[in-house]
Amino acid sequence: MSDPIEPQAPGEPEVPAGPYVYDYAASPQRQIAAPKTVPLPGLRAYLAEVAAQQAADEAKWKKMQADYETAKAKAEAEGKEPPKPPVKPVPRKDDTDMKTPWPQEARDPDLLRLQSLLGDRVEEAFEQAGELTCQVKKESLLEVLRTCRDDAELKYEMLADHAGTHYPAAKDFAFSLVYHLTSVSRRKRLRIRILVPEGFEPESACSVYPSANWMERETFDMLGVRFKDHPDMTRILCPEDWEGHPLRKEYPVVGWGQRDIDFRDDRAGVLMRIAMQKAGQMGINLKQP
Amino acid sequence: MFKSEELEINLGPQHPSTHGVLRVKLRLDGEVVVACTPVIGYLHRGVEKICENKTFFQGQVWTDRMDYVAAISNNLGWVEGVEKLFGIEAPRRARYIRTMLTEMNRIASHLLWLATHALDIGAMTVFLYAFRERELLLDLFEAFCGARLTTTAFRIGGLREDLPPGFIKQARAFQEVFPDRLEEYETLLSENRIWKKRTVGVARINAEDCIALGVTGPVLRAAGVPYDIRKAFPSAAYAEMDFEIPTRPEADTYARYLVRLAEMRQSHRIIQQCLDGLPEGPVMAKIPKILKSEVNEVYHAIEAPKGELGYYFVGEKGGLNPYRMHVRAPSFVNLQALPKMIEGRLLADVIAAIGTLDVVLGEIDR
Amino acid sequence: MPPMTLLQTIVMGLIQIVAVLIVVFIMVPLLTFAERKVIGYAQVRLGATRTASGRKGFTASMNRGMWAMGKVPVLSFFRGLPVFIADAVKLITKEDIIPAKADRAVFTLAPILSVVAAFGVFAAIAYYPGVMFYMPKNWPLIGGLPFNGAIADVNVGLLFILGLASVGVYGIVLGAWASNSKYPLLGGLRSAAQIVSYEVPLTLSLLPAVILAGTLNFKNMSVILATGQGMSPLAVIPLFIGFFVYLTCGFAETNRVPFDLPEAETELVAGFHTEYSGMKFGFFYLAEYANMIVVSCLATAFFFGGYYLLPFGLQRIIPASVPFLGQPSFLFFMAKVSLILFAFIWVRATLPRYRYDQLMEVGWKYLIPLTLVNLFIAAVIRYAF
Repeated sequence: MSDPIEPQAPGEPEVPAGPYVYDYAASPQRQIAAPKTVPLPGLRAYLAEVAAQQAADEAKWKKMQADYETAKAKAEAEGKEPPKPPVKPVPRKDDTDMKTPWPQEARDPDLLRLQSLLGDRVEEAFEQAGELTCQVKKESLLEVLRTCRDDAELKYEMLADHAGTHYPAAKDFAFSLVYHLTSVSRRKRLRIRILVPEGFEPESACSVYPSANWMERETFDMLGVRFKDHPDMTRILCPEDWEGHPLRKEYPVVGWGQRDIDFRDDRAGVLMRIAMQKAGQMGINLKQP
Repeated sequence: MFKSEELEINLGPQHPSTHGVLRVKLRLDGEVVVACTPVIGYLHRGVEKICENKTFFQGQVWTDRMDYVAAISNNLGWVEGVEKLFGIEAPRRARYIRTMLTEMNRIASHLLWLATHALDIGAMTVFLYAFRERELLLDLFEAFCGARLTTTAFRIGGLREDLPPGFIKQARAFQEVFPDRLEEYETLLSENRIWKKRTVGVARINAEDCIALGVTGPVLRAAGVPYDIRKAFPSAAYAEMDFEIPTRPEADTYARYLVRLAEMRQSHRIIQQCLDGLPEGPVMAKIPKILKSEVNEVYHAIEAPKGELGYYFVGEKGGLNPYRMHVRAPSFVNLQALPKMIEGRLLADVIAAIGTLDVVLGEIDR
Repeated sequence: MPPMTLLQTIVMGLIQIVAVLIVVFIMVPLLTFAERKVIGYAQVRLGATRTASGRKGFTASMNRGMWAMGKVPVLSFFRGLPVFIADAVKLITKEDIIPAKADRAVFTLAPILSVVAAFGVFAAIAYYPGVMFYMPKNWPLIGGLPFNGAIADVNVGLLFILGLASVGVYGIVLGAWASNSKYPLLGGLRSAAQIVSYEVPLTLSLLPAVILAGTLNFKNMSVILATGQGMSPLAVIPLFIGFFVYLTCGFAETNRVPFDLPEAETELVAGFHTEYSGMKFGFFYLAEYANMIVVSCLATAFFFGGYYLLPFGLQRIIPASVPFLGQPSFLFFMAKVSLILFAFIWVRATLPRYRYDQLMEVGWKYLIPLTLVNLFIAAVIRYAF
């Protein structure tokens, strides 16, 4: 439990050793479809994507026109009927009630205030679906949270939620950790986001928001992100001797398999084995007294 | 010859009054609690992992199994979260019906809380009185969606079906009897000397500590903070409803009892408004048969009976299922306040404190 | 009549003991059944209905009668009556588990101690002043011998009862300690503290009765207190106060709601008998209900008019010449006992449970001063009027 987690390159995960009853390796649920994209919402990424899409569309249009020109020239040369000129493709309009919320520029006074207060510690600030997101540098998380809580114009008193996401396909980071702050007095919400690589230990938010205690333990339990200066960095939902962190993308949905312990058939044997193990840990050899 | 020793005792995970499989490690000096550590995870099923591998439609079924006494509130959070992710708005009639059913579920959940809390403190009869009314509500849920407990009542974009015939009449019948029944509980408990002795001043936690520990819901309102997500960040049809946020300044178990009773009255009021002002129209928005998300993340919170229930979704481009789903369970966060409430108090107060927090382990462990 | 020989005394004693035991052993299961039904009624449900006989037997005939009357027999009071037989069979045939680390001897001794203390008390209780009936003349050995209203008419009956009843707590404490488990230990400690605290006001609340009656003999006390011979009319006041204090302490002595802390099921799982199962648990169960009957008997005899119709020395209103109402009767006694037992159940359906420190507060701060004042009033009335 106490040794820090080794930085691990994303790729083939190691299967924990141990006898298993069923061979899940053959199970379809065991096959891990590693994500290929990095779905990290952000204004810059979105704009880049839109620009790339436009460029691709433009290139396609150019190619269609060029194709038409060559076809037309060819048809004229052969004296045939010229082909129809191409029509610029317009995006298909579907008649659903869906209005996909795209990221927008930060206009909310809170985000602007944060940007002015923190300067270059803010990596990105944008709005999406009516929610404010502020991505900050991972080293300055605690400072940002403290600013959000103590600043007279921000006053985000409560940490409502903390969660993390695993991005195995990303190059320079592995997890995004989000802190959803709520201002009870001003009725506003704010999302603070940091991106951390594998093995990096972000500072614990417990000193600013005591409610982060169990939430960070859950993040550690589920994703394997350890927090610096946390009062009790132990597993919370899984058993203490659990192997792996279930919410990582390389963890199979069905788990690693089932342990070969049958309490019904060999109860005394199991108890004996446990006793032997415990005694062995204490340096006692029960077999040869 | 004589030495004093602190007794370490495990309250749970198999214990009559830990409301499931909560385990609380207590160190006792006589009957006084010196230290308290809640231990959770005995009901962990990996709902978040499972939902990441189910489509947005399939994942909703799992939300019923989290806070199983308030499944409809969980459904509401899920469908509204997904709708926010996709930018869908449900029709007005659907939102009214959602509001009505969620409030009914709030009453059902509070009734179950009242029943078990009173039973924990030793008043056995209230338990059966509260279950009598809860039965009426479960019948209504059954009439609406065919299930009594794990309802999966709503659909993304609205409702699967309109209200069944006779539902309004049945609901009005419930509306008629419920205020009298509430009076009945109050005659049994509110001025009962022993009940007051067991609850007044017990398991106090003030507003600052509540906010620092993220405690929400009736516990926070009983500490005098009028924070209700139905008012602060209204969703469904709450913005059109006329209701109050009951608060008390005392921040003790008795105050929470009064706040929850008052909340039941307010819910009753909201249901009445929904029944009276139910608009006509479709109950389902036009949405594609296959929902494919864009890169987006949303955090949508609603006021569940226990507090702020939040869903955090991360969508990937063209994804049929959420890339990441996280649930901010109110009981999970509220339970953190337990040590603060009971350290230095008596063993019997631990039971009252667990009862007054109204925890559901299916939601804590997920 | 010639004095009884030793053999006759022993045989008559045995007959009386067996008779009383049979009555108690029937009353306890009936009491559990009544508890289910009364609480069921208070809680808008049916209580025990599932254990009913098939086509034959008492309940079946009653149910047929219900059908004939046009009522659904599920609502019949008599459905579920055999549940007490099922309870007894279950308790007797269940596996008797002794925890591995328990102190086996003490663990076995504790329920026996409890049940002996509870049943021993019945020896000194007089159910009727004087002779109830005579054995038939034609019976060998015991023909024509009197069947007394009490097994043993002890001169210091009240002292005997209080002494024996206070042994019962040892059963609880020893059982809790011998279980070698934490919840029973806490239950046992609570029980010890509670019973020691409530023993004091219990005894003090009985003292006014003793002062007013001027005797410790159970039968005489009961008759004097009911008929008010040589007592001032003002004696109603201390008796009335004493009655309620005694009942309160009686609830605490028998570990009933609102004082059921030793076995507070929502706090201590099952308190002192958490580790007990089978008939050992059955003994504790039996002892609790027997204690309830004892407390009801005592309350009836000393405060509630005993074998007479009217309580608190008011019986003097009705002259002894009135045929039924003016005479002592076993029926009156049993009816009053049943009434108080009903109150036990009623309170259980109504009230929450006290906390440990509040329980102590009630005992030491309110009940003991109240009983002392009451004792003073009784003494004044006894000597001044």
